[in-house]
Amino acid sequence: MDSGTESASADAWDGEIETEIGHDEYDPYGTLTLIGIYFVIIALLWVFMYFVEFLGEGPTVM
Amino acid sequence: MNLFVDRYPEEAWIVRAALASSFLALFLGGIMGLIQGLHRTGFLQIVQDSTYYTVLTLHGVSMVLLFTIYFLVGFFQWAVTDSLDRSAEDIRFTKLWYFLMVAGTVMAAAAILGGFTDATNLEADVLYTFYAPLEAHPIFYIGLVTFVIGTWLAGVDWFRSWWAWKKEHPGERTPLRAFMVMTTMLMWYLATIGVAAAILFFILPWSLGLVDSVNSLLTRTLFWFFGHPVVYFWLMPAYMMWYVILPKLAGGRLFSDPLARIVFVLFLLLSVPTGIHHQYVDPGIAEGFKFVAMTNTMFLLLPSLLTAFTVVASMEHGARQRGGTGRLGWLRSLPWNKPAFTGMALAGLMFAAAGFSGMVNAGMNLNYVIHNTLWVPGHFHLTVGTAVALTFMASTYWFLPQITGNGVFSQRLGLVQVLLWFLGMVFMGNAMHRIGLAGEPRRTAEPFYDGVTFDTALGSISELHFQIALGSVILTVSLLLFMAHLFLSWFDVASNPAPDNGVIPEALSGPENAPIVLENLRLWTAIALVLILLTYALPLASIVSANGFFGSAGTLVGTAYEFAVSPFVGVVA
Amino acid sequence: MEIHRYETIWFAASLLLIVGFIGTITYGAVGVGVEMVDDSGGTVDPDNLGSHERFGDTGVHKVNESHYEVNMIAVHPSFIPSEIEIPAGSTVTFYMTASDVTHGFKLVDSNLNTMIIPGQVSEITAEFDEPGEYGFVCHEYCGSLHHEMAGNLSVVPEDEWGGVDS
Ligand code: HEM
Ligand SMILES: [Cu+2]
Ligand SMILES: [Cu+2]
Repeated sequence: MDSGTESASADAWDGEIETEIGHDEYDPYGTLTLIGIYFVIIALLWVFMYFVEFLGEGPTVM
Repeated sequence: MNLFVDRYPEEAWIVRAALASSFLALFLGGIMGLIQGLHRTGFLQIVQDSTYYTVLTLHGVSMVLLFTIYFLVGFFQWAVTDSLDRSAEDIRFTKLWYFLMVAGTVMAAAAILGGFTDATNLEADVLYTFYAPLEAHPIFYIGLVTFVIGTWLAGVDWFRSWWAWKKEHPGERTPLRAFMVMTTMLMWYLATIGVAAAILFFILPWSLGLVDSVNSLLTRTLFWFFGHPVVYFWLMPAYMMWYVILPKLAGGRLFSDPLARIVFVLFLLLSVPTGIHHQYVDPGIAEGFKFVAMTNTMFLLLPSLLTAFTVVASMEHGARQRGGTGRLGWLRSLPWNKPAFTGMALAGLMFAAAGFSGMVNAGMNLNYVIHNTLWVPGHFHLTVGTAVALTFMASTYWFLPQITGNGVFSQRLGLVQVLLWFLGMVFMGNAMHRIGLAGEPRRTAEPFYDGVTFDTALGSISELHFQIALGSVILTVSLLLFMAHLFLSWFDVASNPAPDNGVIPEALSGPENAPIVLENLRLWTAIALVLILLTYALPLASIVSANGFFGSAGTLVGTAYEFAVSPFVGVVA
Repeated sequence: MEIHRYETIWFAASLLLIVGFIGTITYGAVGVGVEMVDDSGGTVDPDNLGSHERFGDTGVHKVNESHYEVNMIAVHPSFIPSEIEIPAGSTVTFYMTASDVTHGFKLVDSNLNTMIIPGQVSEITAEFDEPGEYGFVCHEYCGSLHHEMAGNLSVVPEDEWGGVDS
């Protein structure tokens, strides 16, 4: 359904699919990459927050 | 026609009513947000400092109780009716719960708005957390309870549909959307025990003058018993959209239906027994209880991290089906020109960023650094203020035609709107986090003190204040665009036809692959209850034994004891 | 159930992250010795603070050469006392409670941060090695003048310290 009006094509299933990919032939390695990058960022920020911003800062409750 | 509104006109009416209520609250709350953003940074102060707190109460209540929950009930009504493909069991009952919610809203709103004038004794300048012994007019608490009862009945309504469906479809798997609604509502029932108890047993009797005092720590703990799971209540409709609608918008399929179910069950199990993480720096609660809440909270990261994988994989699937290639090159093949998709994807991105500040909040001793600073509003404007709010707004570009039968006014305008929200939140969110790290408190009309300075590692406080003000303005522009666009689409000004795209494609790995035990909601609820007892029984008992049910002015046990022995004392004397 | 290999990898990585977080926090608590505010301060009757042995006598008290106590009451919109002076190189224990509603206390540029709740006593101990000026603010909304509720803590060189009840 690729009708003329702008709003009618709100959905990418309407005529934009080139190839249907099934469960077994799909390899989400892009996702693994993105999520791996996220993992590294989160881990580094955690270390920074804990050891620099927290333990490295001023008086602390003991 | 395949449109929801044509198949279920009466249910669509309720969905529309709920969405209209929701967006009205968003609009009102947004204007308050702008006032706050300009006031506390010193750029424009159109209200008195003391009125700032009335504004803030209105902002908090409108945004996180009204906007989110009205949207939720509307969206869930659609999800249940559409996925089970059956009308409400009794549409009068459906209307009943909606109007109960409205009645509750009117009462609570009257109390809050009364705070703007001296003409009435109505007021509720207690913020949305209403920590006793801050005191609101009783009508505020009665309104909140009525509103919550409305949501309870909504749950009953959906359970009735589900039970009726199960009778007619023995042995079949519950459709994913209905499954998500049922698990979310079960969590909600467990969670609301906390506020209901706090209000009905303690705060309301006290505000009516029936008892003299409250045990502040007790009512506060009961509030947070509810206050953490409520954030998942806001989040679950957004998760549902990411699982169910986003893959379709991307041109793909949900990667794994069973995993989506597991995630919702995990939320049912772990949402409540974590509330004490809001009380890491409260006196009167032993460190051990805080540690338990911390570990539970950290494990609650699991369903969100799993969601991240499944949702991104579903988008990647869409991109590849649309011809995308390469390790990351497929990102370019996503439908970035569609506001519904782009808004939700950006909302998800913000949620990933919020994951980081959330981990810091959750970090027990690390929480000392940021507790009650502006960092915390920085965090939840990324979660509920963007991950949820932007997802709700973006989904409307897809959802509205399903329930009104009209096409949206303009996709391009929609795109501008979602991009502006994201941009505004980048400024406001980033600045709030950094100002919070410098130590500036939240919930403060004028955080400028003699002899107290806040230092930032990079840039200056006034630069960051400017970013908050700028972000607030951009967000408000986005909000006004959204409201205008909503209005134009709703009343079909452009006469665009509604796209006939209500069908949700099947998951790559379907429900038949899910372990059957997932369907056993009784079991999961029972386990959730046990976990709650394990984490809350001891802290609550110790709070009550230290200070009584009603604070030191008279414990329930003590009062009952006095009451019981007084005749004897009289006789002996 | 079909579980993709990457899902298994991510599941393992997620668990690693979670265990790593809990491990760091445990290290902070046990290894470094950061304590949480807890129930050690006990409870009080918020309506009778004047006759309470600790809160009837607010201000700085010397326990011994290196240990000082500060008794504070939060009542909208002030801290009593709001100007505090202690000698450098000392260990200070703060005892705080509220006589009206819930308040907060954050010592800026430090990790000292607690709620102050009627009926409860927040007890926090910290070491102040170097002279310096710290501001503190109330970080929980407590009424229409909440934004005015703040104070100062001066850590002065030992020989300049002026004594108790500053
Ligand atoms: C126009 C967009 C918005 C602006 C400019 C805005 C601005 C602000 C500001 C400046 C504060 C901090 C006030 C303070 O602590 O002194 C605040 C608090 C808050 N905002 Fe927003 N906000 C917006 C949208 C939202 C949305 C969409 C939500 C949730 C759905 C939300 C939920 C909250 C909540 C819960 C608080 C805390 C209230 C409290 O501390 O009692 N805001 N907002
Ligand atoms: Cu929480
Ligand atoms: Cu205050």
